[in-house]
Amino acid sequence: MPLTATGQRIILSDVHLSYGSQPVLRGLTLHVEPGEIYALLGGNGAGKSTTMSTLLGFTRPDSGTVLVAGHDPAAEPDRAREQIAYVPENVALYEHLNARENAAYLLALAGLQPGMQDIEGAFEATGLQREAWDKRLSGFSKGMRQKVAIAIALLREVPVLLLDEPSSGLDPRATADFNRLVHDVARRGAAVLMVTHDLLSAADIADRIGFLDAGRIVDEACAQPPERFDVRALHRKFTREVAVA
Amino acid sequence: MSPVTLIARDELRLMRRNRVAVIAFALLVLLTLAAALISWSHQQSISQTRARFQAQAAEAFEAQPDRHPHRMVHFGNFIFRPLGPLAAFDPGVDAFTGNAMFLEGHRQNSANFGDIRQSSLLVRFGQLTPAFILQVIAPLLLIFLGYGAIARERERGTLRQMLVQGVSARSLVTGKLLALGSIAALVGLPAMITFLAIAGQPGASAGPMLVIALGYAAYLCLWTIIVILVSALAPRGRDALLALLALWAVLVILAPRVAPDIAAQAHALPTRLETDIAIAQDLHRLGDSHNPDDPFFTAFKERTLRRYGVTRVEDLPVNYKGLLALEGEALTSGLFDDYANRSFAIQADQSRLYDGFGIVSPAIALKRVSMAAAGTDLAGHRRFLSQAEAYRYDMVQRLNRLQAEAVSYQNDTASDAGADQRKRISADHWHAIPQFRFQPASAADLVKASLPGLGLLIAWLIAAALALLPVVRHLQKARP
Repeated sequence: MPLTATGQRIILSDVHLSYGSQPVLRGLTLHVEPGEIYALLGGNGAGKSTTMSTLLGFTRPDSGTVLVAGHDPAAEPDRAREQIAYVPENVALYEHLNARENAAYLLALAGLQPGMQDIEGAFEATGLQREAWDKRLSGFSKGMRQKVAIAIALLREVPVLLLDEPSSGLDPRATADFNRLVHDVARRGAAVLMVTHDLLSAADIADRIGFLDAGRIVDEACAQPPERFDVRALHRKFTREVAVA
Repeated sequence: MSPVTLIARDELRLMRRNRVAVIAFALLVLLTLAAALISWSHQQSISQTRARFQAQAAEAFEAQPDRHPHRMVHFGNFIFRPLGPLAAFDPGVDAFTGNAMFLEGHRQNSANFGDIRQSSLLVRFGQLTPAFILQVIAPLLLIFLGYGAIARERERGTLRQMLVQGVSARSLVTGKLLALGSIAALVGLPAMITFLAIAGQPGASAGPMLVIALGYAAYLCLWTIIVILVSALAPRGRDALLALLALWAVLVILAPRVAPDIAAQAHALPTRLETDIAIAQDLHRLGDSHNPDDPFFTAFKERTLRRYGVTRVEDLPVNYKGLLALEGEALTSGLFDDYANRSFAIQADQSRLYDGFGIVSPAIALKRVSMAAAGTDLAGHRRFLSQAEAYRYDMVQRLNRLQAEAVSYQNDTASDAGADQRKRISADHWHAIPQFRFQPASAADLVKASLPGLGLLIAWLIAAALALLPVVRHLQKARP
């Protein structure tokens, strides 16, 4: 697995990007280490989705450095994407396939041929109920879909996990389940970057929280034991940033 | 397994799990088989009917008793155009043009008894033939099965998911093409089975059959590409479906029906009445053999007397009335030929203009390939008319020659009690007149005639394939 000298899996350094005359990212800089969970918090229009698109190689920055496990997604999108598991806000899976078939198909597209036992093991690890394994996705809740997506990410054993608004639409129990899963993935050494506007979820799961405003990180907080984060202080900070945005 | 194969297999799995798609596909296959069976049975019935009527007409002609030859000229003879084996696949213009002709002296009759005149007007929309199914219905099925192939992936977000899995847009498009192409191949399969059945029939040639098979394969491939292309460009499946249905309506339904009207306007044929009046006026100008003062026939009489070195027609060694009939027929036939050639020239201009519309509608290009290779196009009809006229002229002039040589002028002009008997000649003469045998175009000629249409289809195919390249680049960005 190609890594940078510092071992950082995700690097964004002084990234600028505009859509036409509208600047979206203005000197964005952040990095995520292996095993670290980084939550990028920001309001609407702060540049969260553009950051995600840039890491996935769908948008090319005007300047700055972007590296995913050592690969520039704009220059080598296929190589970079090989290192990424991506869970979008609305998990996109195939409605005409059941959970097993979805996992087998998407993994096969990624060039992997896991056995059925591996897939079942991953489903068990995510807590997806056994009776759901052979059901078509059309009846799945968002939480169940996320479990399938995380199971696929576990099986891919990629060094980078990108999560786009993962807790949006989940009830507190499902959010807690999901956070536990993400911790499992991080414990296995993956660098996790999640973009969200859910402060509580970010505080619950992240090792570091970056506040994104108008295309750049304006503040950053690190988890400190035993309380990890001062949620009230974070809330004040975040609401101020959002209000400014 | 490569991503292309995986994507194609999944697309087919989706279609298999969609009951509507399965039912639509099964219906189309059944419809094609039914069309093949109906066409085959219809063609067999037509062939047998025409052969029977042809035999009856020949029998009636030969059964005529000893008669004056000119009576036989007016008795005339019916001929029927036999159908080639590929007419079961594509009857072309046969249903619209006549297929039977009454041959007689002094006039060229047009072909009559086209199926269209004996059927409801609905037939004009399209007969249920394998060609109609593949030209009109098969693209519709491909549209309904494939409109969402890529638009659905974009709409549901799986396109981005797929690209994140490392699948290239090129693999995605190729996989979808492969899946829909497999459906297109299956749709064409019943028609190919019909072809194999035809291959064993007398008169069937491999060359034209191969060209037709290639033409339809190219057409279905083209629609496969068009469907995937539009699906890749449309933001939503619903938009893709609407765009494709509009395209189908214009290219397959509207253009092939509007193009003949434009061609007919651009190269207008005179009406039947105008032609009849013009021919009557020209015939009047040619002269009247019964008028002793007619300058043309007076000159003809003088030339004839000089040639034989006599001063009276009664002294000629041949029957002058027979010579007059020969000359008159040559004159009128020349005149009729002239009008027919002018009409054919206009029809050829119309046909060329119509074929040119193949640039804007692949369905027109395919019709050209299909009808030309099956020998059921306008050229095939003209071939029948030309051979029929050559046969008519030969038959009438044989009878006129018999009048000149086997009936004396004295007997021919006599009006006494026994004159009628003396004017008659043996019925053996009618038996000696050969029967009409239609010579169909050679396989090489059929193939040659269908090549321009095939070229147009291939050009369409190349253009559509090239149009996919920027679309693939656009897809790679996977903008939601």
